[in-house]
Formats: sequence, C-alpha cells, structure tokens
Amino acid sequence: MSSHLKSNVIPPSRQREKPRAGMTWIGQSMKRVEDPRILVGKGGYVDDVVVPGMAHAAMVSSPHAHARIVSIDTSKAKNLPGVIGVYTGADLATVVDPCPSFASPPVTQHAMCMDKTRHVGEVVAAVVAEDRYIAEDAAALVEVEYEILTANVDIEASLEATGDAVLHPDDRESNRALDESFSFGSVEDDFAGADKVIKRRLRWNRSSAQAIETCGVVAEYDAFKGGYTIHANTNFYNFIPFVIGGSLRVSPGELRLIPVLTGGSFGSKVFIHKIIILTAGLARLSGVPVKYIEDRLEHFTNSDSHGSDRLYDCELAVMNDGTFKSMRFTVLDDYGAYLQFGVGTHGNAMAQVTGPYRIESFAMRVIAVLTNKCQQGPYRGFGSEVTNWVMERMADAAAEELDRDPVDLREQNMIQPDEFPYMITTGNIYDSGNFQEVLAQAKTLFDLEGWKRKAAAARADGRCVGVGVATCMERSVYGPTEWWFLNKKEEPGFTLTSTPEGISARFDPSGKLFVTLNSCMVGTSPETVVTQVLAERLTVAPEDIVFNYADSQTGFNGVGPQGSRFTAMVTGACVTASIRLEEKLKRFGAHMLQRRPEDVELRGGMVAVKDGLEDQAKSFAEIALMSSFFRLSFPDEEAFDSGLETTAVYDHPISAEPHPDREHLGIFYPIVGHICHITAVEVDPETGKVEILDYAAVHDNGTIVNPRTLGGQVWGGTANGIGTTLTEHFIYDEDGQFTNPNFAEFALPSAHEMPKNLKLGHVETPSPYTEYGIKGGGEGGRLGAPSALTTAIEDALREKGVKISALPVTPPVLRGLIRNADAAAAAAD
Amino acid sequence: MKPAPFDYHRPEDLQSALSLLGTHTDASIIAGGQSLVPMMNYRLAQPEHLIDINRLSELDYIREDGDQITIGALARHDAIHASELIAEHMPLISHAYEWIAHKAVRNRGTLCGNLCHADPASEMPAIIQVLEATLILARNGSSREVPAKEFFVGTYDTVCEEDEMLVELRIPKPTAGTGWGFEEVSMRKGDFAWAAVVCLLRVENGRLDDVRVAVSGAAEIALRLPDLEVALAGQAPSSDIFENAATKAVDALAPVGSATVSADYKRDLVRALLPRVLSAATARAS
Amino acid sequence: MNTTAIELEVNGRKHSANVPPRKLLSDFIRQDLALPGTHVGCEHGVCGACTILMDGKAVRACLMFAVQADGASLTTVEGLSKAEELHPIQHAFWEEHGLQCGFCTPGMLAAAHELLSENTDPTDEEIREAISGNLCRCTGYEYIIDAIRTAAKKLRVTQASDASQNA
Repeated sequence: MSSHLKSNVIPPSRQREKPRAGMTWIGQSMKRVEDPRILVGKGGYVDDVVVPGMAHAAMVSSPHAHARIVSIDTSKAKNLPGVIGVYTGADLATVVDPCPSFASPPVTQHAMCMDKTRHVGEVVAAVVAEDRYIAEDAAALVEVEYEILTANVDIEASLEATGDAVLHPDDRESNRALDESFSFGSVEDDFAGADKVIKRRLRWNRSSAQAIETCGVVAEYDAFKGGYTIHANTNFYNFIPFVIGGSLRVSPGELRLIPVLTGGSFGSKVFIHKIIILTAGLARLSGVPVKYIEDRLEHFTNSDSHGSDRLYDCELAVMNDGTFKSMRFTVLDDYGAYLQFGVGTHGNAMAQVTGPYRIESFAMRVIAVLTNKCQQGPYRGFGSEVTNWVMERMADAAAEELDRDPVDLREQNMIQPDEFPYMITTGNIYDSGNFQEVLAQAKTLFDLEGWKRKAAAARADGRCVGVGVATCMERSVYGPTEWWFLNKKEEPGFTLTSTPEGISARFDPSGKLFVTLNSCMVGTSPETVVTQVLAERLTVAPEDIVFNYADSQTGFNGVGPQGSRFTAMVTGACVTASIRLEEKLKRFGAHMLQRRPEDVELRGGMVAVKDGLEDQAKSFAEIALMSSFFRLSFPDEEAFDSGLETTAVYDHPISAEPHPDREHLGIFYPIVGHICHITAVEVDPETGKVEILDYAAVHDNGTIVNPRTLGGQVWGGTANGIGTTLTEHFIYDEDGQFTNPNFAEFALPSAHEMPKNLKLGHVETPSPYTEYGIKGGGEGGRLGAPSALTTAIEDALREKGVKISALPVTPPVLRGLIRNADAAAAAAD
Repeated sequence: MKPAPFDYHRPEDLQSALSLLGTHTDASIIAGGQSLVPMMNYRLAQPEHLIDINRLSELDYIREDGDQITIGALARHDAIHASELIAEHMPLISHAYEWIAHKAVRNRGTLCGNLCHADPASEMPAIIQVLEATLILARNGSSREVPAKEFFVGTYDTVCEEDEMLVELRIPKPTAGTGWGFEEVSMRKGDFAWAAVVCLLRVENGRLDDVRVAVSGAAEIALRLPDLEVALAGQAPSSDIFENAATKAVDALAPVGSATVSADYKRDLVRALLPRVLSAATARAS
Repeated sequence: MNTTAIELEVNGRKHSANVPPRKLLSDFIRQDLALPGTHVGCEHGVCGACTILMDGKAVRACLMFAVQADGASLTTVEGLSKAEELHPIQHAFWEEHGLQCGFCTPGMLAAAHELLSENTDPTDEEIREAISGNLCRCTGYEYIIDAIRTAAKKLRVTQASDASQNA
C-alpha cells in the first residue's frame, strides 16, 4: 500500500446478518408489493393531488440564454379574468430567500430571476390563475424587455469570458467556479518510469434523465395553521427539508413535506428544491393553494437536472508488458448556470476512477465551468458513468497502442479476488469482488469467442460488425463526503458525514406488522425490499406487512433512493428493527409460554419453544393482542410496557473521513459491485445507424434480494446507457438556444431501439460490511453500456480507422466520423 | 403547455364544413389532429376557429373507382394501412406505414390531414408524388383538382387556400408489374424521416421504364427527382448505374440542415438510400 | 367562457359535461372525471403515457379535445380491472415486473390491450411494434415484452376455457 494511504484505516465490520444459502424470502423474485395500486391507476403521483381551492401556476420563461431584465409589465396579464396574481422575481423575494447551494462558496440562485436570466427557460415571472389554461393565457400577456448579453455556450470559451459575459459577477470573478487539483500516490514518478504514456482527449456531452413524469409541487401556506404544507415529488423530503425551510423563512415545524409516488427519478428528482420554493412562495403571495407541474418543455429547460457535460484530457502511464501504472487527467465540466451540488459528481467519480484495475497513483485537476445552460443535477451514475467510460476508453487505447487484445489487457490489470478489501489510490475501498468470475461468466453467456469469429467473418464480407467488452465498477451505498471533499480545503462548506436510513415498525393488536418508511417510492421497490427482509428476519408472512410513508414531520432519518444505497441501507434498518422486535416478541411470548426468553425462537410467525412441541408456540397475533390489551397478564416491569413497536436507524456501514490535506479522500463509497457488459453491433457505414445484434450483462451486486427487480434495474439502466450512447444529445446553438427540448428530437430509446436478445447473468460476492452481504444495483446498466457500445462500434469500424472520442455517437455524428475517415483514407491513397 | 382558446365548430356534413370554412377567417380543420394539436399545445398554432370534420362520415372511405383508388379526407392511417385494396394495388403505401408513427397516432390521424400539414420530413408527401395522385380541393360552391407534384409549396405550406379543404385523394393504380422501393432513416423507427426515398419503376425488356423517385426530409418540401428519372429511363438496371445516378442526383440536391441533422448528413442519406430503393424496386418489378 | 355540452361513456359509466372546447381530453379525464390513472408526460403526442382506448382503439388523450370524445366510449386504466380483480394484462405486468415507477404503465396497458384484442398470439416483434409509441424510462422494455407475451397466453387460456364451457 502506498504511504499516502496509511492514515486511511478501514473500520471493523458492523455486519450482523451473514449471507447464507437457502434463505426463504431474500433471493426470491417476489412480485412487488407496490404494484397492484399502481396497475389500476391509483398510485398517487403529484399531479393526482387535489386540495380544496387549489389554483394553478404557469411560468413566463426566458427566451434568451443570457440577458439583463430591463422591465416587466404584468398589467395586461393581471387583468385577464380568472387570474389571481402575477408575480416577478422581486415579488417572490419578499417571501423567499435564495435557493440552497452546496457549492462553497455558494453560487447564488433565485427560484425566479431577479435582474438577469442565465439560461433559456429560466423563470422570469409567474401567473397564478383558476386553471392552467388561463394561467398560460396570462403568461403570454406578460411583457418583458431584455437587454441581451453574450451567451456562454462553449465549455472552453466560457472560461475566458469577461465583463458582461460573466454569469455571477457578485459571486465569482469569472465563469471558472472551481479549479482544484489533487494527487494521490507517486504520480510523477510513475509517469517518469512508464514505458509509454497513452493520451486521449475525450468528450462526454450533455443529456438528462427525462423521467416520463416531470417535477411538480402542490403547496399551501397558512400563517395561522402550521405554515407550509407541500406535496412534491422530491426524493429528499425527509433528510434536508430544513434547508428548503431556510429559503422559505420558516422553521421545520412550519414546513410539512408530504411524499408522493414519483414517476421515475434516476437522480433527477433528488432535490427539486427550486420549484418547491417557487411554488410555495407563489402560494404565500397569492393566498391560495397552488399547483405547479412542469410541462415537458419546462422540464427540459429549467429542471436543474441536466447530466454530466465534460471534456477530459487524460493520460495513462503503462509499461510495455501491459501493466497500468498511473493515470491523470484534467477535466472541464460545463455545469450550466448554477452549481447546486458543487462538484459532487466529480467527488463521486473518485470512488472508482481507476476502475477494476490496479493503478497505484492518480492525479486530477477539476475545473467547474459556468455557462448559460440549465444547471446539472444527478443522473444515474452521478458522474461515475463518465469516468467509467473514460477508464474503458483508456484501456482500449492502451490495448491499441500496445497491440494487445483489449480483454486480455484488462484481465492482466484486474484486482485479484484475494486482494479485498482493496483500497484504491484515492482512499475509497472496494469491499469485495471477483472480477475474473464476472468476466468469465459474461464471455460464456455471450459466446465471446464465437462472436469474435462471426464479426471477423462479417468484416471480411465488407460488413461493419464489431464486439465490445466493458469491465466496470458499480459503486453503491454512498457516503456524503463526496459532495464536499473536492472543495477548497480551507472552505469546504457544509461537511456532512451522515446518510442514515430508518424505519419504524409495530405489530398492531391483530398481529399485522405496520411499517413506516421515511423514503419515497420512485420506481424502486422499497416496500418489496422491506417485506422480503422483515419476512426473512422475523418469519412474518409477507401479506401481514402493511406500509405507509412518513412525511417530513412524522418521519425521521431517511435519505432516500439515490447513490444505489436504499436496498442495503434500509435492510440495515430492518435488521435493527427485527432484533428489537424479536426481543420483545420473545419476552412476551416466553412469558405466555411460561418459558425463559432464551428457550424460545421465532419460527413461522410464532414464538416457539426451541425443539419444542408444536403446541408450545404462540402466534405473533396472539402475542400482539396480549401485549396490547392485557397489561395485567405480564410482570409490572418497564420491559413489559404495552405494545410491540420500534424505530430503527441504520448509519452508513463503513465510512471514514477524508484526509485533512486531501492526501486521500477517505472511505465513502465502499460497497462496490462489478459489471461486465458485452455487445455486438453492426454499423451501416453509409447512414451511421447502429444495430445492436447481441447483448449480455453480468452483474455482481453481492447478495441478491430480488433477482427480478435487480434485472429490471440492469435493463432499465442499460436502456439509459444506450440512449446516452446512441440517441440522446442536448444541442445548443451559438446563442445558447436549446434546439431540441422535446421528445420528438431528444430521442429516448423506444422498444425498437433495445437489443432483442438480452442475456443477464449474476455473480454473488457478498459484501463483508452490509447486512446479508447486499450491494446496491441501481445504476449499473448506465455505468457499463456506454463503454461496451463505444468499443463495439469502434471495433466494427476498425478497417476504416474510425476512433470514437466523444459521446453520443448519434447516426449523424457517427456518419460524420466515417465520412472524415473515408476522406482521410482517400487523401492518403 | 395548453392550447389558446378557439371557437369550436362541428359540422355534420361536408357542405356545412365548407360553409364554415368560407365564413370564418383564421380557421383550421381538425381531423385526426395528430400534428395540429401538438402545435396548438405549444401555441405554435392558435387558430381562432377549429372546424372538426370527424362527423363527416361521408369522407371516411377507401374505394376502388375504375383504374384509381380514392381516399376520403376522414380515412385514418390505420384503415389505409390495413386496407386490402391498398395492399393489393399500392403495396408501397402499406409498407411505408410500417415506418410512419405508431399505432395510436395512426388510429386517429388521417392521410389527407397529414398531406395538408406538409411536413417536409413526412413520408406520404413523397409517396403520393411517385404515385402521381390527384388532390381534390373543395370550397363552398366549387372544387379543383391539383396534381400531387404541385400541391406542396413550402415547409408546412400547400396550395390549399384558407377557404379550401382537401376532400379526396385520387391515386391511379400503378401498372401491373410496377416495382416499388422505400427506405428511410430516422433516429427511431416511427420518427419523422431524416431522409426517406421512395421509388416506382417498371422493367420492360430488361430496361428501366417510367422511373419515379421522390425524397422526403432532404429539402423544404418532399420532391421528385426528374433528372434522375430521365437519366435512368431506358437503362439496363445495374448497381453501377444506380450508384452513378445517385451520385449525380445528390449533387443536384440542396438539403436543408438543422441543428441536429446537417445538410451533409442528409445528402449522405439520400446518396445511400437511392441505390437501395432502386435495387429493391427493380427486384420487385416483373 | 364558451362551453360545449358533451355526453360520453367512460369505463361503462355515462357522463354529461359542459367543457371549454380547448380542454384536452387528458385533462378532462383527470380533472373533470377524477380519473387520475391517465398520465400526462409530454403533451406533444410522443411519450404515450396518456394513451387510452376510444371505442376499443388506442388514442393519445393529450392530442384530442374533450369535445371530440362526444358520443364515444372510453376505457381508461381504471376501467380495465373488474371489481376486485386485476385484468389479466395487469396481472401479467405484475408477475413479470413489467413496471417500475408505473407512470407509463396505463398507456402501455392500453397499447397492449389493443394489440391483444386484434392478435391473440403476437410475436415479440409485433409486441415491440405495438408498444413502440409508448416510452418507458425505467424498464428497458424487456419485462414489459415478457408481460405482454404472458398476458397473451393467459387470455388464450381463458378464451379456450370459455369456449370449452360454452361448447
């Protein structure tokens, strides 16, 4: 181990439930508990919320990327019948403060523009009216005079901007929001000693999650009765509502955030604080409950959830024998007009930046660039989807320059199964893994050798068929230090270190187990996971478990579904709750059976005498009834106080703080899965169209709770990755106009674009740190598909010498690369 | 994203519809609404009057009329797609529908409405041009016939006047033995075409005859390629001939690019698809 | 504001209403009829979340005005299940994990319903084509296709047993 890691000590495991074979519920493809109500249209999404007297908001959106607001005339709009109020940024500022920012120092963002608009779609004024139709009529009548400023569109050019082109002159002197450098291990020496340095410039362009449901809010304000009551499809309703309360100038006691079923997030709805603050402010100003649901155009242009947009200059130091020695890069990231989470997406990438390979040193310079686009937010991968692709591109580049088989070269550099827990050079650990087994299974599942022969034969026939293999990491169960450890050491901002998840559970007198969750449902399976774990641990029947969701005032610690954390974290809370409930059940049950608690066990929904006769058992229902209603049947001790209930919080299973001088970053994303995606594609060189001929994915997400729902995550993520690679691209013109913010031109893959013969495999290497050895698996598809597809396309076009250094490769882009390659070849002839 | 207000009219017969059209300025006809309503939702279209012709069952037909097929203004894409009459006489149309939108849109949208919308990236404007269809435009008290090649005048623009309505499409049955070809490239199957190339031709005594080729997506309107057609007529079909013809045809094109799809790319697509379409049509000709 | 009187049947129940002509059918169903199962995803006719059945045919509710549904018989997702039982297609989606967030699901069910009413034994390619106008961001479609294949089988079994009982 390199000396810079000496101070990074791995804490002991807190695992209580060991992984084991033959479990009853964990490991079963149980049908989801959540589904029946959703299948009949009664899921309860935010737009389904109706409150008495509710009015509707519509926004006046900026048509310009960068402009000073000279004047706003709302008089015509206010006079339209049915309009309750028309409000500007100045009006809103009388009741709300700027949005929370985790950047340090903050970049000021108002929920509605004050003096300037900084991207197309930013809200300039808002109308509250009897219905959305009238609100939109009125919005069209608001007259805004703009003085257009220079729009910053290009990531590199924006760094040089001066004068009026600087986005936030009050917060930053330039559009360079952050510029920090980090080095881990002996990077200089390793590069100096390398036989070869592989260099690539790699570009990952902007897209976003675009869940089929947009973001929305229903907000009420009553100064005399509880303050704000807000329904919103934020995922963060129970963890940091107080920061929203801060912007709304109320205490958490005057802010009740109520969760709703969320129509897809993929990270994009983690926070959505801006429209919560905006809608709540409008409710307070207008004096009526207000509903605001983004329309699709607003979701594209103003939802603060654009994905990564990066330019890498990357170097990989290698030896002639193929050994990877060190890696370093400079990355520019176009964050858009604001910086809500700082450079957390780069912090995230530090969890697995060196991939599954032994790379002993690493250095990075990260530059956050502000431009006149909607700001970034989380999107499935949270930045690691890009570094996975960069790492795999560099591995392919090394194979090419060393004339090695790309899969063999990967295997040569992989961490070995006996090296876990393995501390990578940034300080994060990989808890467990068997990368070789994953690769071997994927090769077999895909018939890699067979496909290589088929592809070669097809290429010999003049067709462009290729195969791509990606071996990537899928970090899970995040720790929040990633949000701030890349900030300036002297002013890191809010140095959060907690990411708890909790449940409360109680047996009602009938014996039903009522469970309250503190995190919302976004398409994940929170109720199903909890059902499987509690059924396993307590032997309670799944149909006897009943769910509800706490709001921000009745609930407690719950961070929610993000960073592939929920399954592992809520399982920890379930184990804690189970231990406590088991103790209570045994105490009461043993008393009823006239035995000692140590002589009884949980079995089939009963407290039963160990090795006892069948009639020497009491069902949970009998015990619950007695413990609830028959106090005098039990000893007069506190331990026998009425009822069987508990609350349980589970903190991150294993994390450690970053080094004060950032010699390492500590342990922050240690529950690490491994994935191998292999695909075969055919490119039509004349049109640039890519057809996916075959696809296999093998994932190791530790102990699997539910194979079918994990499979759903894998293929859903893979579909996202296919879109990111082949079809989805936000395109801006030189004035900063977003040219394709609609579903006709920003092309989410349809059923036709998905491969027709997906093959899914699993390896189960349990985590030594989480309960039952579970790892998260919510992001893997998007963390692997872009790399495998890129490699396969490049392989298909190898005779033409086409190199892919930017995503996406939409058909027009790919055809352009082929055209250029053909022209270069013709010129050379 | 909600439409602006409008006055709604729902005539029960064609005569009433034409009267309304003659009476009101700034009126739009709505049949399927699959192109119009999105534009209204975005407020890119804000007609003061909407004349709903969905009650005009007299216009809901696909008929054989001697040596032509007639299609009424209310015939839905899906009905035409499923029509045995069309499949028998104009398999090009049946096949092309595999590439046009999706079932729910085809269930509601009409062919005549699609033509009046005149989206340059839509497939059918090219198809009716190679089929040399005639469009019947009616106004209160009169009607006129317009050949397909004269109907489209610009992006979203046709010769149909404000008080006129496309009531019927008349398509002559292609001569027996006519071969057809259709190729399209779009981002996703069912999307509007980045480029679509369609062709009808016959092979007489080993020579190409009556070659008709049209392109969608590559210019401001869907257009025929007359120079290419003339150049190919009388030639013995071969891949070399097709390749050369395609190269020349593309040189003469001036595609209109956009932020997402460059003119160069569109030119590449037409260049790529032309020989494929010509080969396919030749193979189907007998 | 001008309104137009309409009468229509939704999920077997007759409704009369006066609606502004510009009111989208999707909004009418959700707001006036209080049937929130019809979801609105894009309002420009691409995502398919608002797909319902009109006289048995799948249509985009966001691309129709409510006035145009006068006299029609509509089925929304709320009308698929009978009494306390899921429709066989819904049940197949449950069994096969054909939904995650569920937002696209009502539209998917409508598309699947239309397909299976016209084709009792579709190929996977036919299933793909039938749902290709319905975007799903969660599933990658794989298990939706499984679900529709399973639903077709269930419906064939039901039909066969109905037929044998009637014989």
